[in-house]
Amino acid sequence: MAAERHASPNWVLLSLMLAGLLAWLSLDAVSVAPNRIVAGAPHRAYEVMGGWPMLLVTLPMLGVMALAWRPDSRRLRLAVALVVALLAALPLWLAAAVWALVDPSLPQARLGIGASVWLLLFLWLLVLLELRTRLGLARWQGWALLLPVLAAWWLALAHWLEPLALNREYQGRSDQFVAAIGYHLALVGAAVGASLLLGVALALAMRRHAGLQRAGFAVLNFLQTIPSLALFGLLLAPLAWLSARVEWLSALGVSGIGWAPAWLALVAYSLLPMVRNTFVALEGVDAGVLESARGMGMSRQQVFWQVRLPLALPVILEGVRITTVQAIGLTAVAALIGAGGLGTFIFQGLGQAAMDLVLLGALPIIALALLADALFGALADGLRHGGAR
Amino acid sequence: MIELFDVTKRFGDEIAVNDISLRVEKGELCALVGTSGCGKSTTLRMINRLIEHSEGEIHLDGQPVRTFNEQLLRRRIGYVIQSTGLFPHWTVARNIGLVPRLLKWPRTRIRERVAELMGLLGLPPAEFAAKYPHQLSGGQAQRVGVARALAADPEILLMDEPFGALDPITRESLQHELRDLQARLHKTIVFVTHDMDEALALADRLVVMHRGRIVQQGRPIELLREPVDNFVASLLGGVERGLKEAGLTRVSERMLPLGPRLLARERVAQTAPLRDALSMMLWHRVDRLTVVDDDDIPIGELSLRRLVGGRPE
Repeated sequence: MAAERHASPNWVLLSLMLAGLLAWLSLDAVSVAPNRIVAGAPHRAYEVMGGWPMLLVTLPMLGVMALAWRPDSRRLRLAVALVVALLAALPLWLAAAVWALVDPSLPQARLGIGASVWLLLFLWLLVLLELRTRLGLARWQGWALLLPVLAAWWLALAHWLEPLALNREYQGRSDQFVAAIGYHLALVGAAVGASLLLGVALALAMRRHAGLQRAGFAVLNFLQTIPSLALFGLLLAPLAWLSARVEWLSALGVSGIGWAPAWLALVAYSLLPMVRNTFVALEGVDAGVLESARGMGMSRQQVFWQVRLPLALPVILEGVRITTVQAIGLTAVAALIGAGGLGTFIFQGLGQAAMDLVLLGALPIIALALLADALFGALADGLRHGGAR
Repeated sequence: MIELFDVTKRFGDEIAVNDISLRVEKGELCALVGTSGCGKSTTLRMINRLIEHSEGEIHLDGQPVRTFNEQLLRRRIGYVIQSTGLFPHWTVARNIGLVPRLLKWPRTRIRERVAELMGLLGLPPAEFAAKYPHQLSGGQAQRVGVARALAADPEILLMDEPFGALDPITRESLQHELRDLQARLHKTIVFVTHDMDEALALADRLVVMHRGRIVQQGRPIELLREPVDNFVASLLGGVERGLKEAGLTRVSERMLPLGPRLLARERVAQTAPLRDALSMMLWHRVDRLTVVDDDDIPIGELSLRRLVGGRPE
C-alpha cells in the first residue's frame, strides 16, 4: 500500500482526459437545424444555457484527472465510477441542449451531435479500457460497467432526445430499422454457419490429402484477393442465368441480385479464415499428447473427439470470431446489390447527403461487430479455461 | 514376459531396427540405451504397436502382438513418455482414470483406483485431483504420467525417456521412487534412456543399441566389466567406468569386521555404494571409514585398499 500511495501520475489517463477537456471547450458540441435539408448551425458546449449544464461534464472530468495524478486502486475505482457517470450524464446534457436550442414549434427541427461529443465518447471509452486494465477487471466486469450507461442513453433517447437528428431518422424508419438488423444478422448467420460447416469439412479433407491442401489454400487465397464489389458483380451473371433455367432456384428467390450473390460472396470470403484456423488448430495439437492418447489405447474416433477437437476448439472459435466480424462489415457493402440489411441506410444516406442516416446504418454495424467480437472472445476464453494457456 | 524374435523395422529404404532379438522376463526392468537415432524408441513403440514391425515377431507372454486388437493391446500396456502427454484440458484425476474409463470400469472403482494411485505416487488427492496439468511442476506432471500408465494395473510398462526433461534433483528422486515402486509392484518394464547413470541405477538388464542393432546385452555389471567393443566401453563411461562400477557395488560387499584399531572418525552406511565411500575419502582426505548399519551402530571398517578391491593388509 505504501508503494501505491506514492504512485506516479497515470499519464495515459491524464492525457486522454486533457484531450477530452480541450475538445469539449473548443470544438462544436451540437448543431441545430430547422429541418433535414438545411445545414445545421453549430454550437459549442458553453453556448448552451449560459454554460451551466456543461459543468455536469466538466467537473467530473477534472475529478478524474485529479484522481489520476496520484493513482492507487481506491482512487482508480472512484475514477471508474466517475467515467461511468460521465458516459451516463452525456445524454442528459444533450437533453438540456435540446430543451435550450430546439424550437418545439418546428416538427422537423433537429439537433445533430457535433465533433466534441463524438470525441468525448471515444476518449472516455478508451479511459474506461485503461482503467479496466489497471484494475485487472474481468471481461464481464467491463461489460457490466456499460450497463448503467446504456440504460441512461436508452432512457434519454426514449423521453427527451426525440429531436436528436439520429433519433429523427430512426423514428421515420423504426420498422425498417428493426427489420434491417434482423436481416443483417440472418445473412451473417447463414453465411458464417455455412462457411463453418464447409470450412471444417474442407479442413478435415485437407488433413488427409496433402495435394488438396496446397490447391485448397491457393484457391481460397485467390478468392480473398478479389474486391468484394467485383465478386458481387462476377456472381451476378451466372446466378441470373441459373435462376432463369432452374425453376426451384427462382422459386427460392435466387437471382442475380439480392441475398443469393451476397450470401455466396460472404461464404467465399469467410472460407479462408475458417479453413485456415480450423486446419492450424487441428494440426497444432501437441504431438506428445496425441501420441500418449494413442498409446493409452484410445481409438481414432476417441482421439479426435476427446482430445484433438476439444484442444483445437478455442482456435477454431477464433476463426468463427474473425469470420463473423468480417461478415458483419461486408454485409453492409452487400446492400449495394439489393441484399438489404443495415447497409441500406448507409447508401441511402450517402445518396441523400444525410449523414445522420449514414450513422443510423453505421453505428449499429460497429456495435454488432464489437458485440460479436466480445461474445466469441469470451466463449473461446471459457473453453480454454483450465486447459493449455 | 516380452520376447522379440529377429525383429526388423524399415521406414522406406531406411532400416531403423535391424534384426534384433530380446527377451525381457516378467518382473524385470530392461533399459535400452544408445545414442540418439539408434532405434531404441522405435523398438519400444513396436511393442505396443504404435509402430508396426516389418519383419520378425514380437510376443507378449507367448502370444504374437499382431493377434491382439491394437487398442485392447495398448490398454494392457502402460506407456510413459518424456513430454508426459497429459491431456491439458483434463484434471489430474481424469487423466489418471483414462484407461480404466476406456475399459469401462464402474465409476466408483475408477475413483478408488485413482485415489489409490495418487497416494502411491505422493500426490495427495485433496490437493492435486482437481488441478490441471499446467498447474503442476515437471516432477509432479511426470508422477501423474506414471500414475496414468499404472491405472489399469498393466503387467507391462513402457517408458520412453520418462525423466529426460526433469532437473537433476527431481530426476534422481523420481528414479528412487521408480525403484521402490518396482520393488513392490514387480512390473515388466522396458525403459528407454540415453542417461547411462539412470540406466545403471535402475536396470536389471542393460541393452546397448547402435545403428539399429543390439551390440551387447546383459546385467549392468557384466557390461561394465566386459564391454564387447570400444563403442560399448565409451558409451558406458569410458575412463569413468570404474566410478560407475563403484556406484553399483555396496560398501557391505567390501568392508572388513571391526579390528583392534581405533574407529575412524568418518562414517559411511553399509548400504551406500562404494562410489560414495570413495568420495568421502577424497573429501575428508582419509583412507579409512567406519561402516555403520541403519541405526548408526559401527559394524565394520573400510580401507581405501579394500575399496579398490585389493587384499587386506
